[in-house]
Amino acid sequence: MRHSKSGRSLRNCCFVLLLSISAMAGAYELPADPLESVMWENMAKRFFPGEVVIDQRVIVRAPLDAEDQMQVPITVDATQLENVVEIIALADLNPIPHILTLHPVRAQPFVGFRVKLEQSTPIRVGVRTSDGVWHVNGVNVGAAGGGCTAPALAHGNNDWYKTLGQTRAVTRRESVDLARLSLRMRHPMDTGLAAGIPVFYMSKVEVKSADGVALANLDLFEPISENPTLTIKPLVSDGITELLVYARDTEGNEFEFPLAVPATVDN
Amino acid sequence: MKKNFKLLTIASAITLGVGLSGSVKADAVGIADIVGDQASTDDIVSYGLGPRGQRYSPLAIINKDNIKNLFPVWSFSFGGEKQRGQESQPLIKDGVMYVTGSYSRMWAIDIATGDELWQYDARLPEGILPCCDVVNRGAAILGDKVFFGTLDAKIVALDAKTGKVVWRKKIADFEAGYSYTAAPLIVPTDAHGPLLITGNSGGEFGVVGEVQARNPETGDLVWTRPVIEGHMGTMNGVETTMTGTANESWPGDMWKNGGGAPWLGGTYDPTSKLAYFGTGNPAPWNSYLRPGDNKWTSSRIAINPENGEIEWGFQTTPHDGWDYDGVNEFVAFDMEKDGKTIQAGATADRNGFFYVLDRNNGDFISAKPFVKNITWAKGIDENGRPIWDPENRPGNPAESADGKKGKSIFAVPSFLGGKNWMPMAYSQDTSMFYIPSNEWGMDIWNEPVTYKKGAAYLGAGFTITPIFDDYIGSLKAMDPATGEIKWEYKNKAPLWGGVLTTAGGLVFTGTPEGYIKAFDDETGEELWKFQTGTGIVSSPITWEQDGEQYLTIVTGWGGAVPLWGGEVAKFVSYLNQGGSVWTFKIPKQLASK
Repeated sequence: MRHSKSGRSLRNCCFVLLLSISAMAGAYELPADPLESVMWENMAKRFFPGEVVIDQRVIVRAPLDAEDQMQVPITVDATQLENVVEIIALADLNPIPHILTLHPVRAQPFVGFRVKLEQSTPIRVGVRTSDGVWHVNGVNVGAAGGGCTAPALAHGNNDWYKTLGQTRAVTRRESVDLARLSLRMRHPMDTGLAAGIPVFYMSKVEVKSADGVALANLDLFEPISENPTLTIKPLVSDGITELLVYARDTEGNEFEFPLAVPATVDN
Repeated sequence: MKKNFKLLTIASAITLGVGLSGSVKADAVGIADIVGDQASTDDIVSYGLGPRGQRYSPLAIINKDNIKNLFPVWSFSFGGEKQRGQESQPLIKDGVMYVTGSYSRMWAIDIATGDELWQYDARLPEGILPCCDVVNRGAAILGDKVFFGTLDAKIVALDAKTGKVVWRKKIADFEAGYSYTAAPLIVPTDAHGPLLITGNSGGEFGVVGEVQARNPETGDLVWTRPVIEGHMGTMNGVETTMTGTANESWPGDMWKNGGGAPWLGGTYDPTSKLAYFGTGNPAPWNSYLRPGDNKWTSSRIAINPENGEIEWGFQTTPHDGWDYDGVNEFVAFDMEKDGKTIQAGATADRNGFFYVLDRNNGDFISAKPFVKNITWAKGIDENGRPIWDPENRPGNPAESADGKKGKSIFAVPSFLGGKNWMPMAYSQDTSMFYIPSNEWGMDIWNEPVTYKKGAAYLGAGFTITPIFDDYIGSLKAMDPATGEIKWEYKNKAPLWGGVLTTAGGLVFTGTPEGYIKAFDDETGEELWKFQTGTGIVSSPITWEQDGEQYLTIVTGWGGAVPLWGGEVAKFVSYLNQGGSVWTFKIPKQLASK
């Protein structure tokens, strides 16, 4: 069904593009926000251009109230959707709302992470499928103030740079063709909003097979918690026994390491 | 109107031609733009308005007659709580200004409006050890990248459009006391293409001075050249040749922490195809611990950028005992003398003498004092070596009763130099150098010292005293052929900013009192000044945009003077910090008057 759409000739594509530009404002009606956020229209316009549907198949798990607003665990599971090309996670009421973007090139549309919250806010996730539709869902998380504008804990240490990028990681084989990768990298993830501390964060994490085939590409942004903690589920059906993780921060520091995928299934 | 339209058509046709050839990006800085920077008035793509560092602009739209009509267009604040000294020279390309600031920050500014395009703040570690304020002196530009060094001894390449980090490389270990404050130098080579060349800083911590050349695209090292005798250079990671001969002018192991940091960066002469770097004083300051000339400290060295070999060296202060760094810029110029044109280069040294050398082979031509009452040497002999006054070298602590403090002496100039980092200018119209200098001396004594990583490695104590009651700063016009000083402007506070001269017959410099001033290049008469609200310790630039000549100066009081000032404090203690860019032009309605 979707194949027929992508099979349009180039000329038709251009024609459609022109049409959509001229009719952008009125083309799609924005559905009401189940989270009743004052930022909904603004967020949708900025991050989800095109058709938006509220879709319960996008599952966002988060605590009702954050015990620690510097480290709020979030899990996004869009595995009930097919042909996912992009996942964007937002915190509507953070001073910097964009948390991360995942391109699950050869991975399940699934990501776990931790986020800093400035105040109570919707955690909103948009999942773009290959037909261009944004499937949006989210949850409200209660939080005390100050997560984004406080200095990282690393600043109690004068030698934080010596452990920069140090990583703990574990890889499991969830099923024959699916791995689950969890990692935690040392990084202050400075937002630039704490007085006198410039912005400095891990901005890119790429998971590849040992021979360099892209599996999952992540763009991280300022709200990701200090010492980023991520869970990703790469597809390992092609006899992949080793993953390569590459990470880069906004100062150009680069980190790269291999991770073995166990041969036996173990949940 | 019609005429303008025609011009536009031609311009777009040319652009199209370039596009078809597919080799040149219209908005990217090429190596030829850098080499020819002095002649092109619509951009500034090198430190020194051309790699020779003459700081001379052929622009004459602003001149002696109309400078009275020069007014500010906009002022841009660096903001934040991080002020301190602003010693930066901005770069200009396609209507955008790239300017660096204290604490390793950089901005891109739209010149037409003064609006910020982007800001980059280096995330510095807490343990940086800059000796003499948290300054930065400027950036380099090539292709689609801008480059600058940071206080933690790193070199960063930023995307010129976005300010995002493209690559970032370590020059040296900041925990051992290295840092970086100079503007990087970009030079052409046949063997490697354009190279990005840096020195290093950290002379007060017993580091080893080194010049490094990198591939600007990747940041990868191409060659390294330590400036201290006994250390090995490298090419593509493989050891090449030793600098000098081990222990020829250094005793024992002292060369291993011998100092000589080329912390002010370098200049390049397209005719000789040599890169000129000045080197810092030897470590430690206590000269009795290191008998010998201590090469190549307090020197000018000429490096062949093709292979990183030292073609020649000239030591201005052999066996230094006064902290007379030899880092000051070596400016290539053609000197008319006795009916001949000499391919010369000149440098105004910390030690108070103005040297003229043959820039091809380093042969000594002349040395004349440019500050008054020099005491450390009685003069310079016919070979260019100082005639030391043994009475005015600080005494050996080992010869004192308790071995803890040597005899104190009074030396002129002070360790902050007859001239410090602030670059001079050379006018191709008057054939004169305009030297920002200071008249001061110091009481200095030696103490025992041993090397410890990351700790100050001086072995000396000191305090600075002005020589005259009413002024320290002195801007001088010097004829390099005769050593004659044609005029002098006296300034109460020490001068700490660079100089610019133009075909408009003007000499510009800033003062710690906050004024940007313009002088008549022939007479020294003060023709114009503007109060910027904080001290000036940076280098002015001028360029042409849309038919108008612009002038820019970065402002913000700081640098080494308030940190090491001694008795000088009463001349400067009231000065306030800041951090701004001021840009001037002659308003259109006054341009014809």
